[in-house]
Amino acid sequence: MKFVISSTELLSHLQAVSRVISSKNTLPILDNFLFKLSNKELEITASDLESTLITRIALENASEEGSIAIPARILNDALKEFPEQPLTFEINLDNFAVVINSETGKFNIVGQNGSDFPQLPDLKDEQKISFKLSSDVLLAGISNTIFATADDELRPVMNGIFIELSPDNLTFVASDAHKLVRYRRTDAGTETESSFILPRKPASLLKNILPGESNEVIVEFDDKNAYFILEKYKLVSRLIDGNYPSYTSVIPSDNPNKLTIDRVEFYNALKRVSVFSNQASNLIKLKISGNQINISAQDLDFSVSAYERLNCQYDGEEMEIGFKSIFLIEILSNITSENVIMELSDPTRAGLLFPVEKEEDNEDVLMLLMPMMINT
Amino acid sequence: MDAFFASIEQRDNPELRGKPVAVGGTANRGVVAAASYEARKFGVHSAMATKIAIRLCPKLQIVKPRFNIYRKVSKQIQQIFLEYTDLVEPLSLDEAFLDVTKNKKGAASATLIAKEIKTRIRNETDLTASAGISVNKFLAKIASDYNKPDGLFLIPPEKVIKFIEELDIDKFFGVGKVTARKMHKLGIHKGKDLKSRDRSELIRLFGKPGIFYYNIARGNDDRAVNPDRVRKSIGAELTFEKDLSTRFELIVELYKIEKILMERINKAGKPGRTLTLKVKYADFEQITRSKTVQEKITKFSMLHNYSKELLQQIDISEKKVRLLGLSVSNLEDEDQAPDLQLTLDF
Repeated sequence: MKFVISSTELLSHLQAVSRVISSKNTLPILDNFLFKLSNKELEITASDLESTLITRIALENASEEGSIAIPARILNDALKEFPEQPLTFEINLDNFAVVINSETGKFNIVGQNGSDFPQLPDLKDEQKISFKLSSDVLLAGISNTIFATADDELRPVMNGIFIELSPDNLTFVASDAHKLVRYRRTDAGTETESSFILPRKPASLLKNILPGESNEVIVEFDDKNAYFILEKYKLVSRLIDGNYPSYTSVIPSDNPNKLTIDRVEFYNALKRVSVFSNQASNLIKLKISGNQINISAQDLDFSVSAYERLNCQYDGEEMEIGFKSIFLIEILSNITSENVIMELSDPTRAGLLFPVEKEEDNEDVLMLLMPMMINT
Repeated sequence: MDAFFASIEQRDNPELRGKPVAVGGTANRGVVAAASYEARKFGVHSAMATKIAIRLCPKLQIVKPRFNIYRKVSKQIQQIFLEYTDLVEPLSLDEAFLDVTKNKKGAASATLIAKEIKTRIRNETDLTASAGISVNKFLAKIASDYNKPDGLFLIPPEKVIKFIEELDIDKFFGVGKVTARKMHKLGIHKGKDLKSRDRSELIRLFGKPGIFYYNIARGNDDRAVNPDRVRKSIGAELTFEKDLSTRFELIVELYKIEKILMERINKAGKPGRTLTLKVKYADFEQITRSKTVQEKITKFSMLHNYSKELLQQIDISEKKVRLLGLSVSNLEDEDQAPDLQLTLDF
């Protein structure tokens, strides 16, 4: 097996797929990239068994087909040090010796038999559902929701993004039981209703590679696995097993108190005031009356306190409500509009946040945050 | 109680009376758990290696501890306390705080109660105790240590300020050895030096405890006498006959400690989430490594795996190991700040 490849092109592909490799691998072979050469196309695979990411590079100069597993770290580390130049890989498939010839030297690595690398799972034909969506929609769905996923060993279904398909729309949902995000697109969907839960890690891998894609993404899934087929990549993920909790029942439909405020101003004030909040609770209080919002925090242990008063538009009853500042700040940083609407009911019920101006006509963003008790 | 363990041994064995006595391990690596006042004159004190104690005091009588007896006497004393008030907060087997502001005997003077309790302890257990009386826990504890053995010391409210100003920082209850050293470096030697520092400065220097130091320097301590003080950690440790140098030996010994600890956790019914491994090297340098996990450590398999992980972080290439200890903390129902964050009801 022999091929010539640009050092920087190879590195960029390796860096993208190497994010899959886990430092806590149980199988030693997974510390390798799988190189597969056929038809003048090089396919590079990395996997942690849960997620597998595959990239393809077309080659001009290649001979002999085959596959080999090459240690990921040494290859990555070495390539980082090369200036742009063609590298010639010569691989002996009998003893798995890999020789990389550069302009000025020769580098030797010993690989392993490519057939020892775990096989990709097959989708069950009778259960398989496939659909297409634009890469922008998939990216927006993941980017808007991934921050709200949980890290809860006891409820694994919460540790991923719930993707719900219907003829009218496509919905992404994530929640850690304190906050919840629902991102809905009306310009995507499937003929039949179905759903799956994508774990956080493959979702974050997609978030990383999708910006470089412009075409449609083909998604195929059954009850165990999903394939995301992109132009340059293929991601295969095991899905989270189990039923996602009924999220619609926790979204309040009649929060009568409505606040509209400049998002960046609100965000910056929160960041300043939250420095003065109790370090364990991160509690900040919002007191809303008239057309003003008073944001305050205090830490009795250190005798520090702060407040800021901002103008806003408020249509509702005078109210004092507490939130964990880091959650509220996180939510505001994941909204891009100039103004946000906050809909409240009472100090013990969920608050809803919406962007005022939509980024896309076909999108519907809803963020929910549970308050904190304020002991009066 | 004065030299609690040693006094009990002297009480029960007339031959030991008037002689320097240490209760503790007799083995090669034994440690003194308590020393009689006769032994203390030679510089023998608790936590000292028995070997060194014998060097200081060649006539020292070493007695093996009889914890069952000590526990029995401790209960006896507790019973006496409880006749005066229900607000009894034990500090150890032989020490407790009593809030006698309101007491069952209707006595007006705390000093009278203290005298009465001391007499009863002497009559009923044949042992002596020292009492400290003051307006809060911090001052009462210092007062009790002030005039030992068989002492009684009162710090009346009007003398509090003067007393603290003149008190050495090392004698402050709640200021440990390390903090005291740090304070000395900063020129804080007596109560008045501590009092001269700003609250904000103390917070900057010592963190949150700085607030405590600021308050006690003014004699302020509003901690209540709490009869149900919760246990903060459960531990077990072993000092080895011979210093250990191989990982294999350490694993074997650690396993024994894990077994003891698991039994104690089960007995207390309070699993924790933080596991700490303590290692004392042959040169007495002591290090700890700890790990906090999501789930409470309820099973031996969990305890065993986490212990092994912690042991892997210990360097034994240069020094032999004298002692290993394991403890769990972050116990269930420890008084943490209540979680005010509300949760979605899925």
